[in-house]
Amino acid sequence: MCDFAALWADVVKIFPVLGGVNQAAAAVSAGPVDEKVFENVRHHLTMFGGIDTFAALVDLEIQSSIRKVLVPKFWKHFHGLVPPELQSGFSDQALAIEALPDKNRLFTQFIEAVNELHEGFQNLMQVKPRLIQLIGNAERPALRTVKLMQEDGIKNCMRDCLLAQLPPTFSVVVGAFYWVHFKLFTKASHLALTTVDSDVFDELLCVGCNFDVEQCCCQKLTEMVNKTNTRLFEMNLTDRLTGSALTALIRLKIKEHINDTCMGIFDRSHLKQLETWLSDVIMSWLANIFSEWKAKDCMSEDDAPAPVQSFKVKLTYYMYETFAQSVIGQFFSIIIDYPDSIPAIDDLKICMEKIDMRIYLTESLRSSLEARILHPGVNTMDILTGYVAAIKAIRHLDNTGVILEMVTAPIKDYLRKRNDTVRRVVTGLTEEGPTDLSEELAKGEAIKDGKDSGADEFSNWENWEPDPFGIDASVMQYNSSRKMRSADIISMVVDIYGSKELFMTEYRNLMADRLLSQLDFNSEKEIRNLELLKIRFGESLLHSCEVMLKDVTDSKRINAHIHGESNRPENQQFDISSLIVSAQFWPSFNKESLQLPEEIETEFKKYTKAYEAYKGNRTLNWRTVTGRVNIEIEIGDRTMEMVVSPTLAVIIYHFQDKSEWTLEDLSAITKVPQSALRRRLSFWQNHGLISETTPGLFTLLEKESEEKSQFEEMSLAEADEEDLESAMASASDQREEELQVFWSYIVGMLTNLDSMPIDRIHQMLKLFASHSGGVEFTQDELKHFLQRKVREHKLIFSGGVYQLAK
Amino acid sequence: MKVTIKSWTGVATWRWIANDENCGICRMSFESTCPECALPGDDCPLVWGVCSHCFHMHCIVKWLNLQPLNKQCPMCRQSWKFNIH
Repeated sequence: MCDFAALWADVVKIFPVLGGVNQAAAAVSAGPVDEKVFENVRHHLTMFGGIDTFAALVDLEIQSSIRKVLVPKFWKHFHGLVPPELQSGFSDQALAIEALPDKNRLFTQFIEAVNELHEGFQNLMQVKPRLIQLIGNAERPALRTVKLMQEDGIKNCMRDCLLAQLPPTFSVVVGAFYWVHFKLFTKASHLALTTVDSDVFDELLCVGCNFDVEQCCCQKLTEMVNKTNTRLFEMNLTDRLTGSALTALIRLKIKEHINDTCMGIFDRSHLKQLETWLSDVIMSWLANIFSEWKAKDCMSEDDAPAPVQSFKVKLTYYMYETFAQSVIGQFFSIIIDYPDSIPAIDDLKICMEKIDMRIYLTESLRSSLEARILHPGVNTMDILTGYVAAIKAIRHLDNTGVILEMVTAPIKDYLRKRNDTVRRVVTGLTEEGPTDLSEELAKGEAIKDGKDSGADEFSNWENWEPDPFGIDASVMQYNSSRKMRSADIISMVVDIYGSKELFMTEYRNLMADRLLSQLDFNSEKEIRNLELLKIRFGESLLHSCEVMLKDVTDSKRINAHIHGESNRPENQQFDISSLIVSAQFWPSFNKESLQLPEEIETEFKKYTKAYEAYKGNRTLNWRTVTGRVNIEIEIGDRTMEMVVSPTLAVIIYHFQDKSEWTLEDLSAITKVPQSALRRRLSFWQNHGLISETTPGLFTLLEKESEEKSQFEEMSLAEADEEDLESAMASASDQREEELQVFWSYIVGMLTNLDSMPIDRIHQMLKLFASHSGGVEFTQDELKHFLQRKVREHKLIFSGGVYQLAK
Repeated sequence: MKVTIKSWTGVATWRWIANDENCGICRMSFESTCPECALPGDDCPLVWGVCSHCFHMHCIVKWLNLQPLNKQCPMCRQSWKFNIH
């Protein structure tokens, strides 16, 4: 018959793959196989009719050799290359790449492995033409099922096997490969960036390959890389095998780039630059990877391969997202820098049009605001500054005010809890020097009439836009109307408490304090402020302030008149000027009292007389506690001239006649309570004029004491403090006075009904109050008030009910 | 020791010398204004009748204008005459 052994030898000559596992990777055969051998094999196969079977056999053998030899060999290259801690410790493979100790080694290993794989692959690829040559006719139907004959059959088979045996660390290896590749690629631009100063240090090392510049092997490396890329591409493996690692790497690079170039710089726009960077660096790099095999010159932007195009879309979005996240992460600093950081906000605006970051923005901003300013360590003034800046910045970002509303809600809540907020706001409004609030006020935007804006909404209906998507309804429970949301900054700030009245009352109190402490009859600045406030809040709320300022100017005129030669009181000992106030329009004064010595009081009577003569039918009630006195003290051989409060002046005045006073006597003659008196006396003690020789007994020190100098500084500070002390009753005192109106009602109620619990009393009083259109008050305030009455023994509180004291 | 007061800047509240606190017509305090005025004192003065009752000038003038025939003090119904001091 025939020599099977010889035949088989021939077959193996043609298809060494059939010769056993060990030979599979060896070259297919050294040279072209003799046509005679083909003829022989074909002849025998046709004779046995086993061509189809034979083809299937070859096919199977190839597959198994891929599975058992090529692929494991390929993977073996990477075995143990990646330290085990890196295999598990990093959830993000991109990070793992960064942390790799020896990227260059992985790089070379990868290249080697790919080369080997490619070699094996090419060997296998030669099988197909030989099979066709053997069979002669490729169109046999039975051959269609054979993988080998299908298009890309071997490629697919190899890819499948590779993926099936993919070790977990492989992406790290691929990542490392591309990491080096990227470094090589960007070397040129990198060199351009790091110019003079880095030259000094990096002179000796090439940025691309980390070797000495003299033996820089970038060129060589690049060639190797390019070859590898081409091979991967030929094997159709680029996308499948390396895609995810590649994406991860690029993301990492984008993140790095954004961090490097944009971190902390808010005063210019980055988006353009980033887009250019993406298309110049990343995209051309990708194109380089995917289309290395193409001729360089025929490649242009348009016909970049499809995978690159899809990459571009993905990566552009990713870049926007990363950038937006980075901006949002720093949004607090952006707020603080506000007018300078407008470009950054503009960038974010563009990003937010492309990607919905609203929820993320509000969440992150809220938490950063909470962490940075909403805690007890921050001054109220600073919180307010932050609040105003936030309003400005966020409004720039989103002029519907929705984000603003959501982000600033916690600030408002917090400010409401601070008790000096109102005061700070008012101070901010009127303070000298550029504060945000006073600037805003000076802009003088008129108050928006409710009617006007209502009409506006209707006439402008074509421009109506729905509220942006994704608002948490519960956040919008406060003034959800569009009008409120678009209110200006002053209104937003005043809005913290929800009422203008509170602010105006506080403004009045502060203004009264200022006028009374300065007493220089100079009200021009106040008038200017008042006019600005009037534009914004309307006249009616500020009416009493207007009267107060008029009192100041009137007083100035009256003083001038009384000091005028013709009206000057006779044998006057000292000049008196007075601020004459209309008590009805000023906040109520505190209840402190002071009895003036007789000689001084006579002077005041003279002034009063002069006033009465000037203004018929009117007289003056002096508030002796308030004011300031310019005194000169001669003691021993020194004289001191100082400006002090009336109480202090009167105290030292009394020591003229008698150099020793007990606290009780002094208190009796000045009508200042002992505790307050002791506090005042300490001022003179600090000046070294008086000392408490025995408890309760104060003696004038005629000689200059040693202690004096050491007290000097302290006394100055004390004097300042003295000045700051308010002449007006505190807000809570005033409040109680308002409640005093109801006292007679309460007495009446309790007389008739004997005893009542607090909520009944509160209800009844609310009824009265609503009738008389009077004061609003809470049950807590009432409780406070009633408790005081209990302390004053006017009421008895037992078993949860109040009763009149018998 | 000698203490010399060189100058004193004090604070005082002014009030009308009147035998009542509130205007009998508008029920506002004399030191405040009649309902039509904004500024107290010189701009909204008091006037006295010979019957010794006093009112915001604007209030009593308005009242008198409303009385067609005999002009009476709204408090004591005596015929009203201004008491010029």
